[in-house]
Amino acid sequence: MANQVLSISTAGAEATLPPVRGCVVRSRWLYSVLTFLTVFGPGLIVMEADNDAGAVSTYVQAGAQYGTRLLWILLLLLPVTYFIQEMVVRLGIATGKGHAAMIYQRFGRWWGMFSLVDLQLVNFLTLVTEFAAISLALSHMNIAPKLGVPLAAVALITMVVSGSYRRWERVTVFLCLLDLGWVAIALKVRPSLGEVFHNTLVPGIPHGGVTASLTFLVIAIVGTTIAPWQLFFQQSCIADKRLRFSDVKWARLDTFLGAIFTIVVAGCMMLAGNAAKMHGINFFDPAQMANDLHIFSGEFVRSAILLLMINAAVLGTTAISLSSSWAYGEVKGWPHSLEMPIRKAYGFYLTYVVCVGLAAAIVLIPGAPLQLIILGVQVLAGIMLPSAIIFLQLLLNDKEVLGQQFVNRPWNNWVNWTIIIVLFALSLILAAQVAAPNLFPAS
Amino acid sequence: MSVLELLRPVTITEIPEHHFVVVHPLDDVREQKVNTSGLRAMPMTLSVKLSLMALRGYLILMMLLVLYHVIDLAGAFGPHAH
Repeated sequence: MANQVLSISTAGAEATLPPVRGCVVRSRWLYSVLTFLTVFGPGLIVMEADNDAGAVSTYVQAGAQYGTRLLWILLLLLPVTYFIQEMVVRLGIATGKGHAAMIYQRFGRWWGMFSLVDLQLVNFLTLVTEFAAISLALSHMNIAPKLGVPLAAVALITMVVSGSYRRWERVTVFLCLLDLGWVAIALKVRPSLGEVFHNTLVPGIPHGGVTASLTFLVIAIVGTTIAPWQLFFQQSCIADKRLRFSDVKWARLDTFLGAIFTIVVAGCMMLAGNAAKMHGINFFDPAQMANDLHIFSGEFVRSAILLLMINAAVLGTTAISLSSSWAYGEVKGWPHSLEMPIRKAYGFYLTYVVCVGLAAAIVLIPGAPLQLIILGVQVLAGIMLPSAIIFLQLLLNDKEVLGQQFVNRPWNNWVNWTIIIVLFALSLILAAQVAAPNLFPAS
Repeated sequence: MSVLELLRPVTITEIPEHHFVVVHPLDDVREQKVNTSGLRAMPMTLSVKLSLMALRGYLILMMLLVLYHVIDLAGAFGPHAH
């Protein structure tokens, strides 16, 4: 529609349209800005929601163990995460369908079921870790988790069940922008800017060489920055938002800005961990770090880290639960849209409510094996990611689905196969470590 | 025209000359997407089929390995030596 209107407009003749809701503007520049703003959302959300509770823990730990020495990995992951999600954008806009539905249709029942079951399992375990982080942060704020966790679950459900995609998107984009608080934290803890720039731009191995701890942290950083649910989420989100062919360039820009935003926020999380290292603080989790760091950096840093931990978990929960609900709805053939009221898409909303409610309930069980669940999430996501990207790659070379316009170019394929090979190598290292824990030197 | 007026969508039936209309994707007329309804499983070369079978084997093996490791960590095979 936007292209059609543009061509009518530039033709210079007064034209008529079937009635649509929109804004008429005179300036081409303003037209571009407003069109971008209408498309903006899925790219930022998919990227920033990946900075979830697990990511906060991983990045802060990376900073606490190795200071700023691993910042270059984040810079390296910026184009990787963009390239992967850009393919999802093209697939979503061209087909108007979700990722799970495409895998089911083009690769058959076995792969369809495997992808769906694996996605649901990893997603659910991740949700448990999100609520565990909410519980942890709340207890450090002297709020009883038995009260706070159910309240968070109710808020997360309310965000989604209103039957309006736009309302959910606005709230979620606002929560994403709250993560700018990490930039304020990074500025407050006063890192050495020269060291930050140097270690971001110049790759290097930290003192002590390649150890088991470093290897796992690098794998965890990669696994945290690129997650399987992101492929499913963004494609379904684009399909639900009904992005048009003419929106491709704006959706790419949205994804690119989202990638930059996410990497900057992740870097700031590492700087918070680096501050703990500089002050000789040892901690088990980010909440404890926030408590100990406030002696040196003030109450603002403590409160901000605790609140942003909750925000990260809330963002992760809404995006991950929606990716599960969309994927399940697509495969089952149920109506699955945030634009639909509950009575028309009850299966879709029920999946979301069950995911959120059950994960919140598990966290409240005393003695739940949370460490085991966290390990399971990391390992399963590490195993699933390379295969998920292989299917994405095959779909993006599927001319029957995408035609010549949206199919991968040769350079796309070179880049993506390189990414797949690296991810497989990391996945194999992870597998080897699980099978033979003494493979790498301990320190 | 103020920003607030710009951001408040109105129903448009005519576009004045040299003007542009911004329509939110959800307010726009539904676009005809690539028709995938008639498509069946993707045709694959033998090497792709073999690669996917190898991938299937690798994934099953890895899942079993993870399952074993989790059960082991849960203490089902007795206490750890270390």
